[in-house]
Amino acid sequence: MAETLRRVLNLGIAAGPGKNTAEAEPPLLLLGGPGSGKTALLFAAALEAAGEGRGPVLFLTRRPLQSLPRRTGPALEPLRLQKIRFQYPPSTRELLRFLCSAHEARGPAPSLLLLDSLEEYLVEDPGSQEAAYLAALLLDTAVHFSHRVGPGRGCGLIVALQTQEEGGDSGNALQLALLQRYFPAQCWLQPDAAGPGQCCLRASLEPGGLGPREEWWVIFQPDGEMTVTRWPTQAVDTSSHKGSSSGGQP
Amino acid sequence: MLCDQAPAFPGRKRTGPERVLVELRHRHLNDHRIHRLKFVFGSSAVQALDLVDRRSVTLISSPSGRRVYQVLGSSGRTYTCLASCHYCSCPAFAFSVLRKGDSLLCKHLLAVYLSQITRTCQQLSVSDKQLTDILSVEKTQEA
Repeated sequence: MAETLRRVLNLGIAAGPGKNTAEAEPPLLLLGGPGSGKTALLFAAALEAAGEGRGPVLFLTRRPLQSLPRRTGPALEPLRLQKIRFQYPPSTRELLRFLCSAHEARGPAPSLLLLDSLEEYLVEDPGSQEAAYLAALLLDTAVHFSHRVGPGRGCGLIVALQTQEEGGDSGNALQLALLQRYFPAQCWLQPDAAGPGQCCLRASLEPGGLGPREEWWVIFQPDGEMTVTRWPTQAVDTSSHKGSSSGGQP
Repeated sequence: MLCDQAPAFPGRKRTGPERVLVELRHRHLNDHRIHRLKFVFGSSAVQALDLVDRRSVTLISSPSGRRVYQVLGSSGRTYTCLASCHYCSCPAFAFSVLRKGDSLLCKHLLAVYLSQITRTCQQLSVSDKQLTDILSVEKTQEA
């Protein structure tokens, strides 16, 4: 699902011809610390997918969004908003029930499945098999939706997970390693040097063996407005390790 | 078709054992290939072939098109394997595959992939509601 996110991040730049996303893409894990803009990016991805003239977008999250993010790329057209269906499973059990019964739902199958704050569903039930089953069921549900949408289209999957601070316990590291096995494509959001009142993040998209790593700056203004600029180097050296912050400003 | 997705975690480059399974997909099992399976997967291969011989793998599908596999283990317990990605509800999968990471498959998943190749799955049709129950029950299977 790297392509939807890539298009969201590229909106600040000249919008090239929309790449054909017909091929089912691998599921994507969106990773970052607290307040790193994961929800805003997920919502932007929802709006982007909702404007494609395909099925609805299913947005799973534990609680309603506090506010709609400001200028998250695609315009907040009412028609797009209407295509985003929010579901608020209050517990891990309810989330599992929702995924297990996803095939019973009637109506058009979603073209994109989003889950925010996976960590909140994992704290209740920290066993590795439970975490794996949740990840596997998310994938299975997206595959089932793809099957219903029909050949050559597919349903994408993006899941946001809050990462722990450095020195988090080994259980969290184990859980992350496990999830990465199910989500080969990952996008990391890391804090970068920020201006006054701004929050500046560096987004590194690693599409999981399907292309080179790409990077962007994501800047949130004090009023919550999000702007995105591409990391200066077009051809990112894939061997350079992520997190080697240069501290430069665009 | 299922085997295209099944043997690997999605999108990952396939490892040697996964390649063995993918190669098998287009051919039949013969003595030479069974020998290779045993070489690559060790005792799991023998146990998985035994499960296939006993027709212990069932592909369950509902009118919605969603599918799941169930494998009747040698102990008499039934384990659930997802059809779309790499998951089995057995304790060996939890321990050796997920926690220790020293094996790629449990014998049940290997049996699912082998029965796809040999086309020896039992087939069972259930209602959409029943499939929900099968997927939900999985979680309560304890090691």
